[in-house]
Amino acid sequence: MTKRIAGNGPVMGELNRRTMLKGMGGLGIAAAAGGFPQGAFASESLNYMCWEGYNAPSILEPFQKRNDATVSIDLITDSAGGFAKLAAGAYREFDLVSSDSPWIQRMGPAGFCRFIDDNDFAKQYSDFYPQFRAPFEPLQFDGKATGLPTRWGWVGPTVNTKFDKLETWSSYAPVFDAAYKDKICLLDWGDWPIMPLVLYAGINPYEELDQAALDEVRTVLRAAFKNTRAIVGDLAVAQKGLLDGSFRALIGGGTYCTSSLRLKGHDYIQSIVPDPKDGLKQGIIWMEATGLIDNGKDSKVAADFLKYIVSPAVAKELAITDATCNLVPNQKAEALFSDAEKSALQMDYMWTAWDNSQFHTVAPNIDDMLAIWQEELAAR
Amino acid sequence: MKIERKSWTDPVLIGSVTPLAAVMLFFFVIPLVMTTVLTFQTTQYYRLAWTWDLTIWTEIFSKPHYWTIMLRTVSMALICVVLSVLIAYPCAYALATRLKTYSTQIQILIIFAFLTDAVLKTFGWILVLDNNGVLNWLLAKVGFPPETLNLLYTPTATMIGMLYNLAVYPMFTIYLSLMRIDRDLILASYDAGASRLRTFFEVTLPLSKPGLYSGAVLVFVLSLGAFLEPRVLGGGTSPMASELIRQSFETRVNWPLGAALTIVLIVIGALTLAAFGFFTLRRKATKGGAA
Amino acid sequence: MPTPIIDAVDIVKDYGANRALHGVSLQVGAGEFVALVGPSGCGKTTLLKILAGFEDPTDGGLKIQGKDMRGVPAAARPTRMVFQKLALFPHKSVADNIGFPLKLQKVDAPTVKERVRAMLDLMHLKPEYLDRFPAQLSGGEQQRVALARALVSQPSVLLLDEPMSALDAKLKKSLQAELKKLHREIGTSFVLVTHDLEEAMMLADRICVMRGGNVVQIGTPTDIYYRPANMFVAGFIGETNFLPVDVARKGDAATVSSPLVEGQPTDMPADHISPDLTDKGPALLVRPETIRFVTGDPEPGLWVLNGMVDEFFIKGSSTQYRIRVSGLDAPLVMDLPGSIVLPAEVGQAVRVAFDPSRAFLLSE
Repeated sequence: MTKRIAGNGPVMGELNRRTMLKGMGGLGIAAAAGGFPQGAFASESLNYMCWEGYNAPSILEPFQKRNDATVSIDLITDSAGGFAKLAAGAYREFDLVSSDSPWIQRMGPAGFCRFIDDNDFAKQYSDFYPQFRAPFEPLQFDGKATGLPTRWGWVGPTVNTKFDKLETWSSYAPVFDAAYKDKICLLDWGDWPIMPLVLYAGINPYEELDQAALDEVRTVLRAAFKNTRAIVGDLAVAQKGLLDGSFRALIGGGTYCTSSLRLKGHDYIQSIVPDPKDGLKQGIIWMEATGLIDNGKDSKVAADFLKYIVSPAVAKELAITDATCNLVPNQKAEALFSDAEKSALQMDYMWTAWDNSQFHTVAPNIDDMLAIWQEELAAR
Repeated sequence: MKIERKSWTDPVLIGSVTPLAAVMLFFFVIPLVMTTVLTFQTTQYYRLAWTWDLTIWTEIFSKPHYWTIMLRTVSMALICVVLSVLIAYPCAYALATRLKTYSTQIQILIIFAFLTDAVLKTFGWILVLDNNGVLNWLLAKVGFPPETLNLLYTPTATMIGMLYNLAVYPMFTIYLSLMRIDRDLILASYDAGASRLRTFFEVTLPLSKPGLYSGAVLVFVLSLGAFLEPRVLGGGTSPMASELIRQSFETRVNWPLGAALTIVLIVIGALTLAAFGFFTLRRKATKGGAA
Repeated sequence: MPTPIIDAVDIVKDYGANRALHGVSLQVGAGEFVALVGPSGCGKTTLLKILAGFEDPTDGGLKIQGKDMRGVPAAARPTRMVFQKLALFPHKSVADNIGFPLKLQKVDAPTVKERVRAMLDLMHLKPEYLDRFPAQLSGGEQQRVALARALVSQPSVLLLDEPMSALDAKLKKSLQAELKKLHREIGTSFVLVTHDLEEAMMLADRICVMRGGNVVQIGTPTDIYYRPANMFVAGFIGETNFLPVDVARKGDAATVSSPLVEGQPTDMPADHISPDLTDKGPALLVRPETIRFVTGDPEPGLWVLNGMVDEFFIKGSSTQYRIRVSGLDAPLVMDLPGSIVLPAEVGQAVRVAFDPSRAFLLSE
């Protein structure tokens, strides 16, 4: 769903949205029309919908040069929104999309996925960590692969160890502790802050929830809001508060909030995964994937781009960007990282996190939970 | 009144009105109609389903929190109108009267500030309002205890941001109104025996009403759509309608809901403006007609 | 003159480095109608603003009704102004405009109403205008409302800043007559600023002619017309002729002669010599209506000029000829009573004559 608004991202994204919202009358239409990318007319052109990072010139330019192709970018600011746009008909315009893995997987049932023949990508899969090799279950639909994993990380409390011990955050309990009143920051990234809190309540949000469970969700969100200082949408603002100690923990972010700070030398900032609670894993693994869109063109260049984006060198570019740093599934790429980069990405911790986490998918009751979030926010 | 009422059949009138009407139809009426149409649909699996029912409206009228946010939005907008006019009027007045020699320079500065990206400016306020920000640092310098004010992530911070971004509109409309007042009218009031204060209330203020009203309407409409300030400075403590609509469209991918909330906001805004217009027009009418 | 209502002495006004008034003195008597006349930029409006209290003099003394006006704001002065563009409050009704000064004096509402009605009658405005707004009135009606507003609080001095300059000629004439009548009826002192000397002559008891921040001449309309201080004042009155002359002075007496004319040197009567006469560009002021065509020998004592008809205009009750005379820069202007007489051809050679002793000797 909504994820991060990071670095330079919000400036453009928010401004566009602001302008859009000011013209309230046209809102529905503006959202519906969206603004399709204008394909440039080189010998071959790709329309690419992606999160920031994938559009880095250092990634796109070599590919464009080598293949004599033009890649037009449409940046996603919200995974669900991007999917909805494609589903509303924009899939005809696009060749490729890089988004959160549940939304890549959903292209399968939605009927506009250009499925991947795992055999064609055998070489790529063989470079991956074993956990991500074919058949990679989270991206499967109907026995077919909807895309390849491209970036990943975990969601857990992001903590400044100058102020708090890591052990304090071996559970989400401090979020509700009066001692932490007005010191907690929830990230305003759609479902991301909701899931950890629901897990803490002992409910697995990735399963079908009954009314009693939803009532419990409401209770836990209400309790969290009571203690929370701010709900922040901008990554830089959240990070600033974390560094100066006015936020003791960021909830709903995890590695996505951490690694770029660590790379800049703030290695006392860490994202961890809390210990399992009553047998329920408290961490969440998020993953971005890149998939091909069935727009009837069956473009070979698009398939080449998919191979290109998961290749070790490009994976390394994708891992380290100005705004955020993230893990990549490519094992071969590991050798390309410097020690500082490995430390920034908390590579020594990654499999611990993996083992103690749920894999993020689209929760069946996510709309109910988002509605509860809205309602409780309004009632604050 | 010198305006003559022309017949609807007047070809000149129709000819001159048609282009504007067409533009309004295309950019305003048609989108509004489409938005309204959208409200009678539903979303299933993140895709629009053409169901033509009242699901969304039932949802809106059965959940009080939508109305809580709408009410909060309107009251924030009204407070913002009052405060921004209170801030803008003295500034515009000083600019038009006392600071005439520097008014060009000051205007250029204001325009520069105005042209600076609102996003940047709003984020800049974080640095000022934060507990360890500029404001508290200054207060500590003059002897207040550290972190005296806890402003950031409060509705007050939202309001400060809105005022900062919006007060410039009435400042300009009022300034223009003030500049249009014939200096002789002020002199005539003095000449008739009025003090400066009396002259302000008898002559300057009434004659600057057009600027005051248009500035107020601008601020009101823009406040209703305030998005950035509650999100960045409010920290979730003062959710307003635009954010609610954005969440509905983007996060919940519930376009019918977003469309319906949009319509609700537009209707509330239009009704408020109509009430305002009715009130001011009626006052004019009781005074014997417009000049 | 009895104690003047206005006594301005050596008023100096500087705007930065520019001196707008170079020590102007003016007295206005009770019930007197004084007009300040001059071309634009002569300082007449500045003087009026100083009288009203909108400007402070840089130097000089100003007393109104015997009281020193230094530091007294406009609001506290017994003067009221009618502005050039009238300055009616567009957002106030006619009744509120007229009643405004009374309201400020905290006069009770019924009295205000009564006095506004009385002003309306005085200004020949219909009672139904009370609820109208200035923009709904014609120019002449607005004029009357402005006058009513200025007069309703019975000021001792009414200041009028070219209030009729924007009106068409016909309306102007009728309002001028009304203004004169009004002045006679209410007995308030009027100070009128105008650039139209004809208007000033028609209305004012005394006229103060100004130029470049100085008073050139103060006098009755008759003085100004028949005994202008210099060519500036005389030229301001209307179309007239200046004939350059040589002057031989013996005490107060003066003998004039001119090489341009056929005729003897003539002694000017004492009252036909400007008291401000200098030896700078002396000339005879010859009025158009005093010049005649001559055929044959002229009467003795007349001066004769030879020229040719440059143009002629029929003005209704008179006919104006412009005669080009060699040695004169401008054509000689002459008015003959009646319609076309002779000669009626452009280019025709003519002889014209006038009596120099009936002309007026002045200088630049």
